[in-house]
Formats: sequence, C-alpha cells, structure tokens
Amino acid sequence: MFERDPSERTDLWAVYRRQLNRRAVMRLVAAGGAGLAVAATALPAPWAVAQNETPEAEADPEADPEADPEAEETDAPPAGGSPVGSAGTLTIYSGRNEELVGDLIARFEGATGIDAEVRYAGTGELAATLLEEGDNSPAGVFFGQDAGALGALAQEGRLAPLPDELLERVAHEFRSPDGLWVGVSGRARVAVYNTDLLAEADLPASVLDLANEEWRGKVGWAPENASFQAFVTALRILEGEDGARAWLEGMIANEPVNFGDSNGAVVRAVGAGEIPLGLVNHYYLYEIQAEEGELPIANHFFPAGDPGSLINVTAVGLVADGPNAERALAFVDYLLREEAQTYFAEETSEYPLIEGVAPAADLPSLADLELPEIDLTDLADLEGTQALLTEVGLL
Amino acid sequence: MSAAVSAMPSPPNAVDANAEPALRCAGLVKRFGTVPVVDGLDLIARPGEVVALLGPSGCGKTTTLRLIAGFETPDAGTIEVGGRLVSGPRCDEAPERRRIGMVFQDYALFPHLSVGRNVAFGLPRVREREARVAAALERVGLAGFDDRMPHELSGGQQQRVALARALAPEPAVILLDEPFSNLDAELRASVRAEVRQILAAAGQTAVLVTHDQEEALSLADRIAVMGEGRVVQAAGPEEVYHRPATKAVAAFVGDAEFLPGEGHGRRVVCDLGELPTTGQADGPVEVMLRPESLRLTKPLVGTLPGANATVLARAFYGHDQTMTVRLDTGRALRARLGPYGGIRPGDRVHVSVRGGVLTFPRETHGPMPEARRDPSGS
Amino acid sequence: MGSRRAPALIWVPAVLVALAMAVPLVYLVLRTAGAGAGIWDLLLRPRTARIALNTAGLALAVAASTALLAVPLAWLTGRTDLPGRRWWATAAVLPLVVPSYVGALAIVAALGPRGLLHDALSPLGIERLPPIYGFGGAWLTLTLFTYPYVLLGVRAALAGLDPALDEAARGLGYGPWRTFFVSTLPQLRPAVAAGSLLAALYAVSDFGVVTLLRYDAFTRAIYVQYRSSFDRTLAAALSLLLVVFACALLLAEARVRGRRAAYHRLGGGAARRARPVPLGRWRWPALCYCAAVVGLGLALPIGVLVWWFGRGLSRGDALDGVLTGAANSLQVGLLAAAAATLAALPVAILAVRHRGPVGVAVERMSYLGYALPGIVIALAFVFLGARYLTPLYQTLPFLVLAHVVRFLPQAVGAERTSLLQINPRMEEAARTLGRGPLGAIRSVTVPLARPGVTAGAALVFLTVMKELPVTLLLKPTGFETLSTAIWSATGSGRYAQAAAPALALIAVSAMPTILLVARDRDQPHRRSRIARGDG
Repeated sequence: MFERDPSERTDLWAVYRRQLNRRAVMRLVAAGGAGLAVAATALPAPWAVAQNETPEAEADPEADPEADPEAEETDAPPAGGSPVGSAGTLTIYSGRNEELVGDLIARFEGATGIDAEVRYAGTGELAATLLEEGDNSPAGVFFGQDAGALGALAQEGRLAPLPDELLERVAHEFRSPDGLWVGVSGRARVAVYNTDLLAEADLPASVLDLANEEWRGKVGWAPENASFQAFVTALRILEGEDGARAWLEGMIANEPVNFGDSNGAVVRAVGAGEIPLGLVNHYYLYEIQAEEGELPIANHFFPAGDPGSLINVTAVGLVADGPNAERALAFVDYLLREEAQTYFAEETSEYPLIEGVAPAADLPSLADLELPEIDLTDLADLEGTQALLTEVGLL
Repeated sequence: MSAAVSAMPSPPNAVDANAEPALRCAGLVKRFGTVPVVDGLDLIARPGEVVALLGPSGCGKTTTLRLIAGFETPDAGTIEVGGRLVSGPRCDEAPERRRIGMVFQDYALFPHLSVGRNVAFGLPRVREREARVAAALERVGLAGFDDRMPHELSGGQQQRVALARALAPEPAVILLDEPFSNLDAELRASVRAEVRQILAAAGQTAVLVTHDQEEALSLADRIAVMGEGRVVQAAGPEEVYHRPATKAVAAFVGDAEFLPGEGHGRRVVCDLGELPTTGQADGPVEVMLRPESLRLTKPLVGTLPGANATVLARAFYGHDQTMTVRLDTGRALRARLGPYGGIRPGDRVHVSVRGGVLTFPRETHGPMPEARRDPSGS
Repeated sequence: MGSRRAPALIWVPAVLVALAMAVPLVYLVLRTAGAGAGIWDLLLRPRTARIALNTAGLALAVAASTALLAVPLAWLTGRTDLPGRRWWATAAVLPLVVPSYVGALAIVAALGPRGLLHDALSPLGIERLPPIYGFGGAWLTLTLFTYPYVLLGVRAALAGLDPALDEAARGLGYGPWRTFFVSTLPQLRPAVAAGSLLAALYAVSDFGVVTLLRYDAFTRAIYVQYRSSFDRTLAAALSLLLVVFACALLLAEARVRGRRAAYHRLGGGAARRARPVPLGRWRWPALCYCAAVVGLGLALPIGVLVWWFGRGLSRGDALDGVLTGAANSLQVGLLAAAAATLAALPVAILAVRHRGPVGVAVERMSYLGYALPGIVIALAFVFLGARYLTPLYQTLPFLVLAHVVRFLPQAVGAERTSLLQINPRMEEAARTLGRGPLGAIRSVTVPLARPGVTAGAALVFLTVMKELPVTLLLKPTGFETLSTAIWSATGSGRYAQAAAPALALIAVSAMPTILLVARDRDQPHRRSRIARGDG
C-alpha cells in the first residue's frame, strides 16, 4: 500500500518512539526510582534515527513545488480516506496548542499515512527557532497562531512560495499577497462582557468609545498578546498613527486592567465580575466556559467595519529549503479541506476560511460581519506597533 | 628536662654511617612569591636513621617535608630517595612514585574507611594483603581493630593507625609532620616512646618535623636544626645540646644563658670570673651557660671562681627547681638545681660553673653557615 | 592548597565545561553584534532603566526574604526541640519541587482578586484584598518557591558547625539569642550568601512568575521581544544587560561570602552533636511559623492543584500521557543530573583545590548562564545545534547538554561546599600511599564529597524536571514530558487538565528530595566529623 523508499529510515524512529513510550511506562511501574538512570542510558540512542533527510527529499526539485508531479497528486481528493502519495515523516513546528490542533493532526496522519512529528511551542519562540536554525531546520512546515509571525519569517526569506491552487481556496484578504503563507482559521476581535454587569444597550458602538471617561477602570486588556497587537496595527492603518496613539493614551488614562499577554485571564476576570468588559478574541469565551461551566459572559462584535472587530488568522507556511516539501504541501492542503475547516468551526470555535463551511452555530457568519477594510499583510508591520506601544509605555 | 636526654634507650638498630643515604636533599630552595621559605637546605638520612627537623615555627620545616613528599615543587636543588633522583632539574616525580610514607599532623585518616581498609589503602591488591594489614596493625599494637571506624578510636590509637598505614607499603622513607602535637601532654610521652620502638623495630628511615626540642632530643638519632630555611646544625642529640653550632641553636635547643666575656685562648673572663672553655676563644665572646651547669653555694669570701649573687625567685617543679639570681654585677641568671636544699628568694649565694663553657664570637647572631657541621658527622 | 599544577585530567575537562558554559554568552555577543543603531534606542529608553530597577529590586528583595525565611526554619528544624521537627525538616524543603509557574497560578487562584481566599472572606464582608499583582505578588511567590535553596545550604552548614563555638559564646556571658547572632549566624554567612545568590539569580531568570503576576522585569521584556517583535537582536542586547546584572550579583555574593577558603575543622577536639535548644513557650509561635511557610509554599499549590484535578476528573478529563510524560521527565532529569554531577566535579575541584584564575573563571562563568532566561539558553543551543552540530540537534543528548549548561551552578555550588569541608591532607595521604591524582580523587575525595555530590545531583534533577523553554525547543520531536504537558494544558487555559501532570511532577520530584533530607538526617556528622585526636 505504502509507497516507501527502501532507504527510508524515518519509520524506525516512529517505531522506536512507540517502544520508548511503552518501555518507559513499564519501567516507571517496575523500577520506580533511581534505578531508572541506568536503564535510561542503556536505551538505544535516539539521535541515531531522530534526524535524517531522506535521499528522496534531497532530490526534490527545489524551486517550484507546482512542477512536482507528486505535489499535483496531493491535490487530488483522498480516496475514501486511504493514504495518498507521500507516506513518511513530516516535521511540523506548531505555534498552535496541542490541545487545539493535536486531534486534527492525528486525523491528517490517518488520512494521508504521513507520520507527523510535531514540535509545539510558542509561535514567537518557534519563529525565533526557525530563524536561528537557518538552512538546517528539520521543520517542513510552520503552523503559526497569527499572521504576524509568518510575515516576519517571510520577510527574512524563510518561507517558500505556495502553489496558487492552495492559495486560491482562501479569500485574498486572509493570505499573503506574495503567496508565502495562507490563513487557516479566523479569529475575531471582540469585546467580552459580563451580562450581569452590562446590558446590551450599554455596549459601546466602537472600540474607540472605550477611551471615554464612562469606561474608566472597567476594561481589561492584554497588550502583550499578539492578537491585541495585530488589532493595534489595524488601528494604526485605519485611524492613522496619531489616531492610534490618541486612543492608546486615552485608554491608559482610563486605567484599564492589564493582563499581560493572556486573553484567557481577561475572560476569566470578566466572568468572575472583576471587570465588566475585556478586549479579547472571540473563542476564549467557549474555552473558558468549557472549563468553568456556564458563566455570565457574552461576545460583543463591534458593528460597521469598526477596527475593534478585526479578523486575524492562524496561518501556515512552507519552510524554505525544508525537508519533505511534498508532505508539507500535503499538510497545507489538508488544512484547507472541508474536513479540517469543519474541525476548526466545531472544535476550536474559530472561523473556517474556505467556501461552504459554516462557523459554529451562535456566531455571526463571516459574510455577515462588516469587516474593517484592511490588508492582513499590513499587519506584519509589528515593528511599528511595538514602537508605538513602547512609546506610550505599554511594552 | 635534661633528664630527657638520657631517658630513652639508645636505638637498638645501629646506623651504618657509610651506607648509601635513604634520603638526600641538596641545595633545596622553595620560594612563595619572592619570599624564600626554604633557602639552600641540605639534609641526609641514612637507612634506619630517625632524623628530626627541629626549628621554630615558620622556619620552613613543614615546607621541606612537603618538598620531599612531592606536594610542592622546589625552585632549585635535588632530592634523592634510596639513591634515585626524584626531584631536580627536569625531574619531578609524582608523590605516589617516590616511595615516601607520610604521617600527617592531623593524621588524615580516611573517615569513610575502616581501620583495616585505611591500612590496606597503600597495599597492592594481592592475596597476602589481609595478612600484611594484620601484621601492620599488630606492629602498632592494634591487632583486631580492623573493623573499627577511625572516629571510634582515641587520639593515640588514630596516631598509631596513621603510622601503620604509612609503614605498611614499606616506603624508603617515612615523613612525620608534628606527629604528636595533637596529643595531650601525658599521652604524648608514652606515644612517643611507642613510635620510637615501632620505627626501630621496623628499621625504618624516618624524618620527623617538630618544633618541640624535647621531642627531637628524645626521639631522633640525629637532629637537623633549621633556621631561616636551611639546616644550621645536624648532629646527634647530645652534640646539638652540649655543643650547639651557633648561639641561636643554643638558645633554641634547651635553656641557655649568655654572658659577655673576653676570650684568652682556652680561658674566658666574664662576670663569673675566669672560666675554662671547651674550645679556642679569643677577643669579645658570648659565654653560654646551661642552667643545670650552674652551682649555687653559701656565699664565700675569697678567690674561688664564680661570683656572689642574690636569689630573686624560685620555681619548684618537683623533680627539679630553678632559681633566678642577680649577680652583684647586676646581671640576672637562671640556675637549675635538684629538688632539695633550702635556698629561698632573698638569700645570698655564690654562683659557680661546672666544667668548661662554650663560647661564641660576640657578633654571632642567627644561623652561621660557616659554623654548620658536616652533615655526616653523627 | 597544593601548588602542584592541576592534573590534565582535571583542568582539560574543566576548560571543556567552561567552553560549553560560554555558548550562550558567545551567542548573545554574536546576535548583539549584528544589531543596528536601533539597539541604542532600545537600551537607552526609559523603560530599560525602569525594568533594570524593577529587576534589581526583585532580586535583592528575594535574596533578603529567602534568607530571612530560611535561617529561622533551618535553626528551628536543626537545633531545637520543635515538635515534629523531622517532619518539618522534610516538608520545608518541598516547595522547591513546585514549578514556579504552577506556584504562581496557584497563588493567583488562591489570593488573587475573586480567588479562593476572597470567596472565603466575602461572607465576612471583606470585599477587597491587598493586590496580588505586581511587585508584592511576584516577590511573595518567588520567595515561597526559592527559599529552600537557602534552607538546604544553611541546614548543612548548621550541622557541620562546631557547637563548642556557641558554647564559648555562652561562656562569655551571651544569652541564647545573642549567641545566635554573634556566633552562629556569622558562621552561616557563606551558606546564606550562596543560597540567596541562587534564589536571586532564579528570580532574575524566571519568566513564569513575573508574567503571571504582572511584574515588569527583564525576562518579561526579553520574551516580549521574541514573542511579539520576533526581534532576536534586541532580545540578545537585553539579555547581555542581564548578564552584566548577574555579574553585579556575583560580586555582591563574593563580598558577603568573605575570604574564608577552608571550612574543615581545624585543631584538635572532635565535633560533637549540639544539644537541642529547648523552645519552651516559644514552641507555639515557632510551630505557627513553620506551618505558615509550609502551608503557603506546599499545601496551597497542592491544594489548588487537587481542587482543579477533582474538577477535571468529575468532567471525565483523560489522564493519558501522564505516565509517558513522567517516564520521559524522569529520563531527562536523571540523565541531566548525572551529567551535571560529572561535569561539575572538575570545575569544583579546580576552584577549591587549585584556586587559580582559571578555576575562578570557570566557576564564575557557570553562574552567568544561570541568570539568563531559559529561552536565551534554548535559542543559543538551537543556533549551535542546527548550524554546527546538526546530527545532535533535537536529540536527547543535546537536550541534556543544554540542561547541564543551564543548571550546572547548582551542582558546582553543592560540590564546592562539600569539597571545602574535606581536608586536603586526605588527598595527599592517598598520594603518598601510591594513588595518582585521579586515583586519589576517586578513592578519597569523591566518597567524602558524596553528600554534596548527591545534593547537587538532586537539585539539578528537580530543576530539570520543572524546566520548560529549553525542553520545548530542544527535545526530540514528539517527546512529551510532564512540564510540556502542563504548558500545553495551561497554554489553552485548561487548568484542570494541567493538574494531573503538575501533581505527578511534584510527586516524582519529591522522592529524591525526601531521600536527600532523610540521608542528611541519618548522617549528620559523617562529613564534618573527620576524626581527630580527642585524648
């Protein structure tokens, strides 16, 4: 069934890993304490198989993935879920949390027969890691939590172009104009509010209103969070540098509660009634309610193209000169299929980005939202946002 | 004190004066920074001989021992052990290859090892190791102590274990660094005698470092008196005591009183009148007087040698006593007498000297290299 | 001590270790050197001065408060008749096994606005608690989870002290309290300084606490550069500032430690075990004190975790992965502990026995890396591994190497303290008995230094078990540990999911700690009672 290169040794690694886990459990039960050190050192050396680039990957026509017949093949729909084309391993650097995408990646493995080795860590840390690794990265693909990180990698030349067929599945505002990354799921900026403390009538029409005196001490935010910073970048574009600065200064004068980089903490605080309202992404509400049970909280989408209702995307890109380019393409392809997009709608409460997949039931549909006029590529100018946030003393 | 000189039996093992030395140091120099601590030291120990390195603290004797053991590297000079060069120009044998045994001031017993394993530490892993450990412990009177831990032993026992451990590998020379300084006064005398016997029975060449002249006098076949980094005099205990090479040696080994005098060949004139000398004396000299050589009698009128004096103070030690007297010329002297006799402070006495006296040229201070005795003279 | 040159088999490995320790510094210098003019704007902006002051304030406050907290605990559990003091002795060390980010989460959950304490007090009409966020909370949290560094050292020093000195003070007319201050405390100074240094450096390098408790310190600024600016250069420049900062702390510690080089007992007379001081009426305040510290540092986080765990269980959260994570954590922890112990030995021997410029430089070098946040060490090794040691990159041995570099000072410190207590004459005795320099170390030094060696190994083990940023970036891909499981769960806000691996982490780390404390107790004088004459 599997089209396997005889020199492919990567499966050994997978076997070893399974053995390791089984053995590790047995050892834990049997030995318990310090005797483990001896057993641990006696294990077969994992580094012997952990790293390799298959000859197949090295022989890849490096330039244009579209020219690769195998890449074409991956574009074909999977036949009854049976694995297609490029079985073998693919290393994914995921800035998205395992709790959120672990199941999805398992489904991808099942559908393609590709053995995905995923390194989960912070999006920023992984971007820094990719930059430090230079040409030697073992990663084939980078799945980031926001477009900004991918923009930074694209700027440093660390991403390879994606084929148009994949790019075109997603609306142009949710992908790189250079074709270096593509959005996977959408995350709307909203105001989460405590329904015991605020009536719908009290809600602000625009995020800009929150700088008014009536909201003094009532707003929570997380200015170190990347999503918030993307929103500030949008604000700079829509309201101009001075408008954005004026809003930030007005907000700071209004003494908002600062939650560092944690949207979750903002939502919790709102749920606990510490503050009536917070600026966050739309899906934290669902996560926290899953954790804490029903809380008196709801999302408020700012109407009429307000900068407060920006939609940012999680995004994926191919690592330039990365190994296993065709498997990496297969992964991007999978993320942009109906199966994966439905997963985002249902499991992570995010907005699917391809035609024909609807968001979770109680969310306003993407088409109904009046989005601010903004090009997500411009959001890559985090440098300017950082400078502004630094200038007003938030960073 | 003087009793110590003859209290010990003379060594049962005769030292062959013509044998190849077990240890020979020549011209050793060791500087710490720019300060020379050992400064041209010569020392010889013949097989079976116990040599005491005696000197005040800070004179470089412990450094000398550490140079011999190989813990320090000399800046100049050579060291031979058993006729083999172990340290010299382009030669610096590691301590473990020198065939040197060492007993440390604080014994340095390994606290994590039993007595038996401490002693076995330096022995090769052969079948007879057990037997050699038993023999070594037997030799120091600790048979059956194999399984004890060092901290379970008394100080004297620890000291003997340290000795057994150092002796067991049969080193060419054994070095003892102030070995009795950690023991109580009353224990010290008996342990000293034991060590003397153990070394003698083993026929072991040993170099002992001490600042205690009594220890050196009673234990050593030969004493090398050190001053300012070199050996000032090396000779048998009696010779060092009775015929010290310099005034400094005289002052350090035993009690000594000095009077200025004027030498006239074999006689000298000083506050105690005209006295016979043991050697040639001419011009201004210092006259050395051992307190026990002074005789106190009822004051006499006449021309007997000596001088009249007044008793200032008396210290009674049981086996003897010392009197401090002031000569009528104004000079104070100490005299050591037997424990009997009713002389009291305030009494008038006549002071005279037994036998001939030793003189030093007046300007003699500190070590005098030219006065050094032939190291082989024993 | 000995003026003989250190044998090649000591100084060659020591220099190799120093080279490995230099990796993060070289990386930072390379990165900073690539910076443009913008770097001066960043370094000279007012915020840099503010976070420098904030960090300095936090480090000094933590150093002082850990000492204040730990010295009475050490004395109460080591020298008095405190009821249940053996139990307290163990419990008081255990906050060390709580990862500080877990501790910070627990502190927020318990003491934060609308936290458990607030819920408990609100029926009594208390609506506002003192704010937990900011300096106060960060200080409290770091103190609670780092004071055991001071406690361990001080207790060992206390056990090795000669009671005769205290008795001499009593004989000179000092009461028990003044005796403590004029005699006991000054002798504990080196141990207090060394422990406080570790605590202060931990405070400087820790990211989780200052972030969760919202205190603007260097590490937070460095992470912001990596996380939202993707700017490695500015982050590196800030990290270099942190290194300068660590140098200042090291100098301060060297001053406090004083110039005493040898702590082995001098002179005759055997060390005796001190008679416990009767507490009398003071027993109850003393018990309350111990209970308060252990309650906040150990019972509170465990309580919060158990509560979360219960909620998770009741919702049917899966527990899979905890066993694998525990086995993997144990594997990395034990390997790193063993490697760090071995690597620290030549460094400690060089520093103690051949105190020359090389020994000092190597020892100091190891501490500089300790002040850096984990992400910097991790990226330095990403840089080294991916570019120059490709076959080793993201393998277990490479992960262990990075951990060793990060946590070596803990092993060096413990081994150094033990070596100082070993009489160098022991090694010389071994030499005259035919052992070579290495033979002497193997047969005498190492067995005698065992308490310090095992203590150092245990400390490294504990911290590696808790470590996160280095593990995340350098582990073999797909290799999950307990700390990555906790990170994964808390990263998506699922605290109940984090509780199981967090409790497993605490349980696994507690084992060696309890063994360590028990050993200490069983052999209180083994190391200090080097037999001397006792008449």
